[in-house]
Amino acid sequence: MLVLRRLGQALVTLAGAGVLVFAMLAATPGDPARRVLEARGVTEPGPPAVAAVRAELGLDDPLLVRFGSWAADAARGDLGTSWRTGRPVSDEFAARLPATLRLTTAALALAVTAALLLGATAALGAGRWPDVLARGIALAVLVVPGFVVGIVVLDLVVVRAGLGRVIADGTWATVFLPALTLALGSIATWSRVLRTSLLEAGSAAHLRVSAARGASPRRRLLVHQLPHAAAPFLTMVGLGTAALIGGAPIVESVFTWPGIGRYTVEAINARDMPVVVGFTLVAVLTYVLAGLVVDLLCAAVDPRLRA
Amino acid sequence: MSVLTRTAPRLREVHQPLWRALLARPAARVGLALGLVLVLAAAVGPLFLPDPDVPDYTDQLAPPGAGHWLGTDTAGRDLLARTLAGARTSLGAAALVTALAALIGLVVGTLAGALGGAVDTVLTRLTDVLLGLPSLVLTLAVVGVLGPGYGNLVLAMAVTSWAGIARLARAVARGALSRPDVLAARMAGVGPVRAVLRHVLPGVAVQVAVAATLGLGEAVLTLGGLSFLGLGAQPPTAEWGTMLAAGRDTFAYAPWQLVGPGLGLVLAVAAATLVSDALRDVTEPT
Repeated sequence: MLVLRRLGQALVTLAGAGVLVFAMLAATPGDPARRVLEARGVTEPGPPAVAAVRAELGLDDPLLVRFGSWAADAARGDLGTSWRTGRPVSDEFAARLPATLRLTTAALALAVTAALLLGATAALGAGRWPDVLARGIALAVLVVPGFVVGIVVLDLVVVRAGLGRVIADGTWATVFLPALTLALGSIATWSRVLRTSLLEAGSAAHLRVSAARGASPRRRLLVHQLPHAAAPFLTMVGLGTAALIGGAPIVESVFTWPGIGRYTVEAINARDMPVVVGFTLVAVLTYVLAGLVVDLLCAAVDPRLRA
Repeated sequence: MSVLTRTAPRLREVHQPLWRALLARPAARVGLALGLVLVLAAAVGPLFLPDPDVPDYTDQLAPPGAGHWLGTDTAGRDLLARTLAGARTSLGAAALVTALAALIGLVVGTLAGALGGAVDTVLTRLTDVLLGLPSLVLTLAVVGVLGPGYGNLVLAMAVTSWAGIARLARAVARGALSRPDVLAARMAGVGPVRAVLRHVLPGVAVQVAVAATLGLGEAVLTLGGLSFLGLGAQPPTAEWGTMLAAGRDTFAYAPWQLVGPGLGLVLAVAAATLVSDALRDVTEPT
């Protein structure tokens, strides 16, 4: 029941996003046919050539017909033709997606590990120095923008100290610094949320009983508090994938990471709308899917959510 | 209701004045003081400093010293002056984004809550879709439509970040329609929209302002980050993001270019974070 309801919700969000994004595409000034022709090397295309491409792209059809065929294409994974290169957007993405996946996966793993460590440390030593230290780190990481850290780290660690490679080639060997930069904001937010929910779980009456029976603080944290805090933490991580996808363009640009984020920034500067729209769709799909998976996981972890 | 859907901040009746509750918290005092210093520096500082936009090619990339406290950039412009001019740009734009988003959210939410019916259904659907999407990605898409530029970036951020406020405003407006004083006004022949405007809005202005303030720090970050990518402010405009982008090119031999804009961003976000954390603690039921 819950699965069906959540699936329906996800579909509604996706459909709404499709309408919004198509509206953006249709509202962009300029004639796409002209842009495609110029990308194919035709300078100063004449009216017959433009008309032919307009017919080829279906630009003269009524808006609803265009939306229908656009949505059907997108559902099949065909994101249209780049206005800049004249090649299919999905081909351009396919070449760059592995690099972005490596970056976001590494960032996600780093963020979850660091947030668990920081959050648990803070909760275990609540009010004492480990708490102050962990919260201080979280706050510092939260307020220092990732791209500023990226610039400084790139110069100090890579250029001056000679560790790592300047040219990020999108492989696992060079992923650590960009992934850390991308993960920073999430580490801060997630560890703060985890600390709060761990402490909330720790104030429950059955934990006093547990303590009275001689369970050590560490055992109480791992066995009782952590499972209680799992659902809010999972939710946070699910929402946080959005921050990772949204942050990819900035971090990829700083580290010249050959992923779809940097490609999209170039596309925005060149007003290459099919690529921009394609990135939006990919990001939205990932976000909605992540939300779906996390909600189902939460329901599996927390029986109260299965109502 | 999904656990994943972002909920607008719930606000309880605040019994003591908001200001007093806020000022009782040390973190909020530090944040407010920091913010005040930044705003004052941005407002008054440029009066005592060289013009931030006039190049001086006899004094390029001067290191920090007596003449130029933060040094100069590749065009010989004083970096302290540019940092403070950048504070005007960045803080002003962040305030503008927040105010626009609050205004759109207030109008959409109030209309949906007061009118009900088909209008409510359509507006609420739209709000839910927006809340279910990553806003930074949407902002990028809208910048793609409008084209890079600072005004366009501000507009793009405003039209993609109002949904949380709209949900709050709708809930408040709906709840208020059954309040005795509003019912009395309705029976006296006042229309639903007018009733909400006259009798409900003044009461929720503070709540909406609080909810809007929570997004201020993120607005500063997004403006800086996207300008850094060249999608927002364009050189030679003094703006923290573009200054960082310029500073990156010369970082190896003139690292002081990053100090002003970097510190400005960090301090502004720190001030906003400290205040909004405290605001959340004060206004949300625990």
